[in-house]
Amino acid sequence: MPAGGADSLKPSAFVPVCTAACLLVGSSSLFFVFTCPWLAVTVCPAVPPCCAVLFLFVLANFTMATFMDAGVLPIANEDEDKDDEFRAPLYKNVDVRGVQVRMKWCASCHFYRPPRCSHCSICDHCVEDFDHHCPWVNNCIGRRNYRYFFLFLLSLTCHMVLVFTFGLIYVLNHMDQLWKLHCTVTISGLFLIPVLGLTGFHLYLVSRGRTTNEQVTGKFQGGVNPFTRGCCNNLDKPPDLCCRLDRPMSEKVGDNGIQSPNFHTKVPVVDYDLAAPLVTVGQQERKCLKRYYFFLFCQQSSVRAVNLPDTKHQTSGPPPLPSSSSSSLSYDNLINPTDPQLLPQRAPPSSCYHPHFMTLGRDGTVGQRPAPPSYSPVFIGVSRQSPQPREISPSLQGLTSRDASPSFQGFIQRDLSPIFQGPLLRDLASHSVTTRDVPPPPGLTIRDIASQSLRDLGPQGLTPQKSSVTTRYDGYSKTIMASIQEKREMEERDRMLRLQARSQGLYGPDIGIYDIPNRRSLPPDNIRLPGSRGPTPPAYGSREFLMSTGLHGYGARASTLSSSSTSSLTRGPKTSSSPLQSSSSSSLQSKGRSSSPAYCPLERQSQPLPSSTATLPRLPSSSGPSYTSYATVKRTSVKHSSEAKDCVTLGALK
Amino acid sequence: MATEFHNLQELRHSVSLVTKVFIQRDYCEGTVCRFQTKFPSELDTRIEPTLLEETVKTLNSYYAEAEKIGGQSYLEGCLACATVYIIFLCMETRYEKILKKISGYIQEQNEKIYAPRGLLLMDPIERGMRVLEISVFEDQGSGSSSPSSSMSSAGSSAR
Repeated sequence: MPAGGADSLKPSAFVPVCTAACLLVGSSSLFFVFTCPWLAVTVCPAVPPCCAVLFLFVLANFTMATFMDAGVLPIANEDEDKDDEFRAPLYKNVDVRGVQVRMKWCASCHFYRPPRCSHCSICDHCVEDFDHHCPWVNNCIGRRNYRYFFLFLLSLTCHMVLVFTFGLIYVLNHMDQLWKLHCTVTISGLFLIPVLGLTGFHLYLVSRGRTTNEQVTGKFQGGVNPFTRGCCNNLDKPPDLCCRLDRPMSEKVGDNGIQSPNFHTKVPVVDYDLAAPLVTVGQQERKCLKRYYFFLFCQQSSVRAVNLPDTKHQTSGPPPLPSSSSSSLSYDNLINPTDPQLLPQRAPPSSCYHPHFMTLGRDGTVGQRPAPPSYSPVFIGVSRQSPQPREISPSLQGLTSRDASPSFQGFIQRDLSPIFQGPLLRDLASHSVTTRDVPPPPGLTIRDIASQSLRDLGPQGLTPQKSSVTTRYDGYSKTIMASIQEKREMEERDRMLRLQARSQGLYGPDIGIYDIPNRRSLPPDNIRLPGSRGPTPPAYGSREFLMSTGLHGYGARASTLSSSSTSSLTRGPKTSSSPLQSSSSSSLQSKGRSSSPAYCPLERQSQPLPSSTATLPRLPSSSGPSYTSYATVKRTSVKHSSEAKDCVTLGALK
Repeated sequence: MATEFHNLQELRHSVSLVTKVFIQRDYCEGTVCRFQTKFPSELDTRIEPTLLEETVKTLNSYYAEAEKIGGQSYLEGCLACATVYIIFLCMETRYEKILKKISGYIQEQNEKIYAPRGLLLMDPIERGMRVLEISVFEDQGSGSSSPSSSMSSAGSSAR
């Protein structure tokens, strides 16, 4: 059973696997206890041992199928996200042996899914060569454990056939009332048919080189399967990829604050002062820098005397340098800025290095790891959204072209991050907010721009500020976060009111003043670009969904919603049909990369920004023309139709 | 000799992560592990294309070798079945051995070729063998001009 993923860890998820295990063990035990002695005597003495071996094989494969990682692809870092344009397509085509295969963007995992990869909603991760999620083992069946699952099915079929046959023979020869045997025979007989069916199905799949997922979705029904290698070659699966994801898993596990197992290394002691600049950088940067420093350090000091204990996950034999199998961890130990145990000591410089070795146990690494995911609920769902460094929303682009305020571009690029971070950083008292009073361009609140800036600025773009924000957020308590949030909301409301007054005077009623940007205030999906990436909306009732509604209260939404729901250009306040409906519709309107609830990697938690502010704002209806070309992705009935009408009307006007 | 460390410390203070370049998988041959040998434009000024291409090609060959099904793989599989997979606790499979070889190779490449140029290759396994990540570092101390030369000069003075 895999780690992570709420659904697979629910108590109800364990019912089928426990049932399967109990039935298997129970029936087989009855068989061995009651039938085998008679069979050994009557039929052949080799029968019980063969059955026992087969049963052991069944159990082993069942265990492996249950506990082995199916081939989970770790979630991409935010650094990888920024490579993709905001308006990058939802699908990417790739040519596999002459056949065009579509790679879909996974909104939860933040990468384009490789061919044959699929996202398991139960386990909430992408699995390579995804076959299906098997409830009987409570695990995904994918690339790494398909062989065990298949062998489990085969061996179970054989075992059930044997048990049924021999049990029947016994029962027919002993017509007295042995209810236990009758049970065994009945159970094995009953379940034999479905198991046999499933085994046959998978035999067919293996021979055709397909996964269950592909078969069920009919991917290669009419066309050519580029992944098949012929019937015989398909039965030759690639070798076991046992350790393939050990390190990413351990890294992921380590990133969650869990100590990495079996890590015990002796490293030369470094000067503690060197670590000072590392403290201010973000998590990912720190990791990279540590590795890089390690290489530079090793290059220049010719370290040859570091010994690593040989563990299962590390290179055997004495490497000239610590092997990179432990690299991700050894660098942390080498340069450990937060470990107070490190003595400020310089090793004597020499070509033959003779450092004072200091053993850093597992505790030494703990300080390195990012804080465990015990964030305030305000921020948990948020942190999955990575600000995109080059995302310019079409709305903003439209504004730039049409409502050319001379300082607009520069405003975005220069001043937005402190604006957004202002309310937070002001509380953190780390940065001076310089641009709070800069008048925003028409039709946009500072919040909107700030939220855009969050998307524009990636981890590197926000380096000095974000890094301090990152490190500070790691240590903040829930109450502080909540108070920061409240202050920010109040400031945003003030700003909104000011702007509303200003803009209504200058620009007329058709320019909308938008609420604090959140999913509710996003442009509707019908104005998305064709093929543009749609995020996974938060599930109704999920924490994230509730955040997007609960954070800002129902009162503030009236102005935003009125702009979309009304068919006129006026922006009079209008009560929304229902808070829940509007929030659900707004949640569906979220644009760009979505945030999935709860299961954010620690790298993302280094940017615990509210989802509401990290999403695009809904633009004033005057920017309608730039949206009218967008394809409809999702619609809510009332809202979007009226909005579309709006856009078309405005387009006609222009 | 104290200057050796002094320079190293200065070096550490001044290097910063600029960007990360990701080399994606090449799916032309199916789902076998191969990385694209196309040279990313962001590294134009940092490294010669031939060096990176050679690294990627070598990695691809290692992965192909790992995924090859031969006698040893069959033997390992049969042994595993016979011992009810307990053998996996004691033995390292051929695939794992090759993965370790790959890690060693990447480390060696980093030391010899990439670190002097302010780059760092990450082992693809840390990203689930989905991308090959190259971190680009820049020397902050001397500004953005000729970062690699400043680092190599620091390195040479340290020696």
